Amino acid sequence: MEPLISVRNLKKYFDVGEGMLKAVDGISFDIYPGETFGLVGESGCGKSTAGRTIIRLYDPTDGELIFNGKNIYDLSRKEMQEVRKNFQMIFQDPYASLNPRMTVEEIVGEPFDIHDIYKDKKEKKKRIMELLQLVGLSDEHAMRFPHEFSGGQRQRIGIARSLALNPKFIVCDEPISALDVSIQAQVVNLLKELQEKLGLTYLFIAHDLSMVRYISDRVGVMYLGQMMELADSEELYENPIHPYTRALLSAIPIPDPEIQKDRKRIVLQGDVPSPINPKEACRFVDRCPYAIEICHKQVPEFREVKPKHFAACHRALEI
Amino acid sequence: MENLLEVKNLAVSFKTFFGEVEAVRNISFSVKDSQTVAIVGESGCGKSVTANSIMQLLPMPPAFFKGGEIWFEGENLLKKTDKEMQKIRGNKMSMIFQDPMTSLNPTIRVGKQIVEGLIHHHGISKQEAEEKALEMLRLVSVPQPEKRIKQYPHEFSGGMRQRVMIALAMVSDPKLIIADEPTTALDVTVQAQILELMREIQKERGMSIILITHDLGIVAEMSDKVVVMYAGQIIEEGNTKEIFENTKHPYTAKLLKSVPRLDMDKNEPLHSIEGTPPDLYIPPLGCPFYDRCDKAMKICKDNMPDEENHSPTHKSRCWLNHPLAKDQERRSS
Repeated sequence: MEPLISVRNLKKYFDVGEGMLKAVDGISFDIYPGETFGLVGESGCGKSTAGRTIIRLYDPTDGELIFNGKNIYDLSRKEMQEVRKNFQMIFQDPYASLNPRMTVEEIVGEPFDIHDIYKDKKEKKKRIMELLQLVGLSDEHAMRFPHEFSGGQRQRIGIARSLALNPKFIVCDEPISALDVSIQAQVVNLLKELQEKLGLTYLFIAHDLSMVRYISDRVGVMYLGQMMELADSEELYENPIHPYTRALLSAIPIPDPEIQKDRKRIVLQGDVPSPINPKEACRFVDRCPYAIEICHKQVPEFREVKPKHFAACHRALEI
Repeated sequence: MENLLEVKNLAVSFKTFFGEVEAVRNISFSVKDSQTVAIVGESGCGKSVTANSIMQLLPMPPAFFKGGEIWFEGENLLKKTDKEMQKIRGNKMSMIFQDPMTSLNPTIRVGKQIVEGLIHHHGISKQEAEEKALEMLRLVSVPQPEKRIKQYPHEFSGGMRQRVMIALAMVSDPKLIIADEPTTALDVTVQAQILELMREIQKERGMSIILITHDLGIVAEMSDKVVVMYAGQIIEEGNTKEIFENTKHPYTAKLLKSVPRLDMDKNEPLHSIEGTPPDLYIPPLGCPFYDRCDKAMKICKDNMPDEENHSPTHKSRCWLNHPLAKDQERRSS
């Protein structure tokens, strides 16, 4: 199968005065049509920056993004606007990502105005109502303002807006982390349902690893701007190769006292180091219990260790 | 084992422009020596209000106690004056807050913040204070404590700040620590460090912990006893094993099913709880979970069920416990 989008050696640096903050430092992966690609990592690992750079909300420092055979980073502003209809984003904070002065109808209909889709007001309204129904809201919600809704409902409004232009690819940047557990499940089920109905492709960014495993077909693990490991989600969670992935997985509390009692966990020492001017070495070396000399000197290559299972570790498979 | 803390029929409300919000409605529970009690529930269920009531940190007004008693070491805290409370707070009981970024004073060196309370309560000398602060930073495994003690909070990472918060809470050797979502703002690997640290300190010092969280994984890992709150009431309570393995209340059951587990089948659908909790301006007469419960019966709408004991430690409030429940007509929709 042809990938829907291919990310090639993507880099995004920010000049912060005291040096270069390498938020995303050379990541490459493909996302196939109809799949959900999960991107996980701890805060500051660059997962959100990666998501935003991929749909060109940030201009990349280097790298390519191939969509429909074209590198979208080469497109002009005007060409980009046309292509951008295919890309949408669902944001983390449903309180901050909806304009409080616009009604739900205006919010969901805004993409139509920007791209000048409907000449006929009635048709536009009809489509807005369709979208609201699609995400489990109804006509009566259309004239209300965001503050009248709960967090879960607001996230539904955000989802309706993102679906307005029939996108192919949606970046979901922590879409559920601001919601209560019982509401999280509602939104995740809705996202899954919409994917089936509309054939959407998701990049699902999150730090909740159990949720990512549940929703994703394949998962990439980021650490300090680089991809540490990438595999099918079952494979990644059952046979993690990279020591960081292992530590990350073992840190998740499982809601079962019996399992929790006998569980051996790897507790990492220290904190994530600064992404400003990182040294030329494995990014994880200072916290890695398996680090040897080469790890301090050379950035490990991100390679296919097992079929369809990639990892960036000098000691992959031997540890 | 003695009860260190006993909350009896506590009711707390807030006066607002639109009327009274009954945030906590007649709850009772107890905490024994060296026990970890988890209070779980969704946002707005009253778990933080409960914690802040015990510490008496609620702004009054708008908050006010409608009734109840909070017994701590044989004394009713609600009868205490502000001055008397100050002697207990930060001394015999202390609190770890959710957000280590905002709960430390950015303009004061951490060393001073840790011992501020001690100086206030016991009037120790500067040198003694410094030694004590060093000891505390060592206790919470902050590397290079001699250097760190002179630094400001912004020079610490999130995990390190939370360690400082724990040091600050532990310095007076409290009997009870209330931890309000202590790891919610932290990453999982850092969360694992902090939880481990809290467990170690508890083993060493033997204090009781009230752990407020919405993460059922943390509950399973840390707590001896679980109190499940919904819409300002306790709907189920029991030791951790009972709650997870012999769940009695439909809300608890749904809560447990709505989180994906690492060991669960991916094709299994996630059980969501439709709808939202009721508005506490006008709390429902009957069971607050009625609107969202798929096992709801006619009686649930207007009548709150009584507490039913399933074991000496396990109780719940649900009409399904009633012997006649099986004959009742189940609500169809």
